[in-house]
Amino acid sequence: MILDDRVLDVRAATVRYAPGRPAVDGADLRLTCGRVTALLGPSGSGKSSLLRAIAGLEKLDGGEIRFENRVWSGPGIHLAPEQRRCGVVFQDYALFPHLSALNNTAFGLRGGDRGTRRAKALERLKSVELEPRAHAFPHQLSGGEQQRVALARALAPDPDVVLMDEPFSGLDRRLRGELRETTARALRDSDAATLLVTHDAEEALALADTIALMSQGRIIQTGAPDAVYLRPASLTAARLLGEVEAFEAVAESGRALTVLGEAPASGFEDGARVCVLARPETIEVRRADAQGAPAVITGRRPGAGQQRLICQLEDGREISARTALTAPHRPGDAVRLALDPDNTHVIPAEAG
Amino acid sequence: MALSPALRQAYPVWPALFAALICAAPLVAVAALAVSGEWTGYLAHLWATRLPDYLWVTLQVTALSGAVAAVTGAGLAWLVARYDFTGRGVFEWLLAVPLAVPAYAAAYGWYDLTQGAGPLGFLPTVRGPAGAGLILGLTLYPYVYLLAREAFSGQSSDAYEAARTLGARPFEAFRRAALPLARPAIAAGMALVIMETLADFGAVAHLGAPTLTVGLIRAWAGEGATAEAARLALMLVAFAFLIFALERTQRARARQTNASGRRKPARRVQLGWAAGLGAVALCLTPVLLGMVIPLARLSYRALHAPVTRDLVSAAQNAVLLAVIAGVLAAIIGLAAAYALRTGKMRGVFAARTAGLGYAVPGAVAALGVLAILSALQGGLDAMWTNLFGTQFPLLVTGGIAALIFAYLSRFAAAAIGPSESALARVTLTLDAAARTLGANGRETAWRVHRPLISRGALLAALLVFVEVLKELPATMILRPFNFDTLAVIAHNYASDERLGEAALPALLIALAALPAMVWIARRIIRAEAAP
Repeated sequence: MILDDRVLDVRAATVRYAPGRPAVDGADLRLTCGRVTALLGPSGSGKSSLLRAIAGLEKLDGGEIRFENRVWSGPGIHLAPEQRRCGVVFQDYALFPHLSALNNTAFGLRGGDRGTRRAKALERLKSVELEPRAHAFPHQLSGGEQQRVALARALAPDPDVVLMDEPFSGLDRRLRGELRETTARALRDSDAATLLVTHDAEEALALADTIALMSQGRIIQTGAPDAVYLRPASLTAARLLGEVEAFEAVAESGRALTVLGEAPASGFEDGARVCVLARPETIEVRRADAQGAPAVITGRRPGAGQQRLICQLEDGREISARTALTAPHRPGDAVRLALDPDNTHVIPAEAG
Repeated sequence: MALSPALRQAYPVWPALFAALICAAPLVAVAALAVSGEWTGYLAHLWATRLPDYLWVTLQVTALSGAVAAVTGAGLAWLVARYDFTGRGVFEWLLAVPLAVPAYAAAYGWYDLTQGAGPLGFLPTVRGPAGAGLILGLTLYPYVYLLAREAFSGQSSDAYEAARTLGARPFEAFRRAALPLARPAIAAGMALVIMETLADFGAVAHLGAPTLTVGLIRAWAGEGATAEAARLALMLVAFAFLIFALERTQRARARQTNASGRRKPARRVQLGWAAGLGAVALCLTPVLLGMVIPLARLSYRALHAPVTRDLVSAAQNAVLLAVIAGVLAAIIGLAAAYALRTGKMRGVFAARTAGLGYAVPGAVAALGVLAILSALQGGLDAMWTNLFGTQFPLLVTGGIAALIFAYLSRFAAAAIGPSESALARVTLTLDAAARTLGANGRETAWRVHRPLISRGALLAALLVFVEVLKELPATMILRPFNFDTLAVIAHNYASDERLGEAALPALLIALAALPAMVWIARRIIRAEAAP
């Protein structure tokens, strides 16, 4: 990491709407300019509140938010939202209904004459491929177009920080994929520190350089997408990014033995209770005469390129495995299941 | 977003508190006046003499006007919302326009037409409680029409279509599925009609249907007995508040029943030419009866009568008062809407208190203002006597200010609703968006709020403009000497049986209110049609 990176630093941020458990409960987060951080968490985990606190739309009840060397929020300090240079893409886009796409985009531009501002706004609309719709009003635009106007508007004043609150949630699946690409390109062109709030793991993995997982008001893990996906710090963290199978086991000379076989558990003392995590696609589905735990396929859910198999072990426990759609597995088949020792991750049992 | 105290509470509440004071003070004053002095003896006397009659007539007139308005308004709302026929687009707003006609103008016209020597003398004469109820229903039905139309066209067609697929014939489906869903809206509209009926003086006085309001004005004018009038006023207000409570609860329910997710407007059924002709005839009926026929009669009478007094200054006075009251009411409406937006307890309380004024009949508001003025005079006199040993050298008369005070007390509430829905367009995220784009609070108000709420504020101002233009009892009680408005002149002539001279001022009121009402009606219809 380069030392002079410009960063937004959130330390122990707390937002409390009512007595009781705070919505944001001592969250730590660091956003770096030129990089996209996805804040992933279930609804009610406090992600939107944290985003609003960074934008200055909520006051902090504890902790601190600073950008470079300036404190934005802290004890007795609250910089007004209009002074923070944060571009926000709201979940409902919040386009001004009385202004055209162009004038929405130009809203935050200051200085220079009208012509310059319009030219700059038009340039922004062009970067999200909306130039032909510049004079349309929000109610004349489709959902995807509105989202792109919202993005262009947020980026137009060249903000230091871009905050996006579930920006694709109102759109259908196909459109989401396209917009993700447009958005990623637009963000790469800007040098802003970007925070993408989402509850969609796929979206987070596709767009972000860094993923921060949030649960019950706290950031529970931060890291590169694949690292967080494959080496989650806890069962909660693991489940945020997708389906996971967890096996309780006891560490024994650097190994943990589960019903599906052994997993390497170096670093755990002998006798320590551990939890072995495996993603469904890392569970091997073998022929009935091979090695592994005997099981019967009870269900099959075909998906895009993959199929999800529900397999029942002899003790009745159900295990999810994912194989290629072309694999010859069918309900009723007897199979053997085994862990792929290279792709398991072992955590202390308490962490679950 | 539900929670964002940081931006929500950025608006001041004190203007709404001031508005609440304006609206509530006259009512409080009337109550204070009513309970001062001997109470039981008067009540017994009143009960023995006129009170039962007043109450009975009031019940008859309100029941009839409410029923006529409900059937007319709801029926036509259904027709316009669910069927397509030639002229539907015009009738959609035209059906709301008879609200521009003061009930007394319609009463003058119909009475004149149907009295013994009139051209429609063969019909039963429009008079008495039945006549008054009919006339009030025919001029006030737009309240029901507007609310019911919104309910019917906002209703997704699901309920009606589900009923049809379950084997109900069209009328049965209307009765069992569509109507129950719109019933809260219809009830709310009826409550407005009844409150207006309770407040009416001109029509019931002319048609010989002495309601509580007539009794109140008689008590005030006949014996100058303000305390007695205040006691009647208190009864009238109790009556009105009952209806008002009904209206509020029904409106809350109307919002609930309409809140069902996405609005898929029902596709209208195209009517054939014969049925279409029938629909046109149905739509024309209330417009003709409530507006065109009585105004035509008044025009005829006006053309054949000498202009005896200077109507120009009276018209100027009327318009001036209506404009001032309209503008101030719009400001009060916005203040209340912003106070509600803060979500603070006292803000909501202030706005709701200001909203109560709608249930206070004009005569009561005027009486309250009189009571406040006389209390002020008494206080000043006492102070002056203490200091200098003489009476206060000036007589406190409110003049035009007192009139405006009473108008606002009664009508500012009408401006709150439109302001609230205008401000609802400015969602909290729009505020947040503007702020994050570098606009401070004042700039946000100017660049985002102003363009989004200005039409709603204009709507509020025009609504009050029309109401004040038509207002009679408060103006009669509070107008300064030698200060006439069109309504007062019309009423004075009409009560002298000089209908020819009363015709022109009454007609002028309707003509002045008409363009405003057309704009209001079209605006309301279009606002609902927009996404």
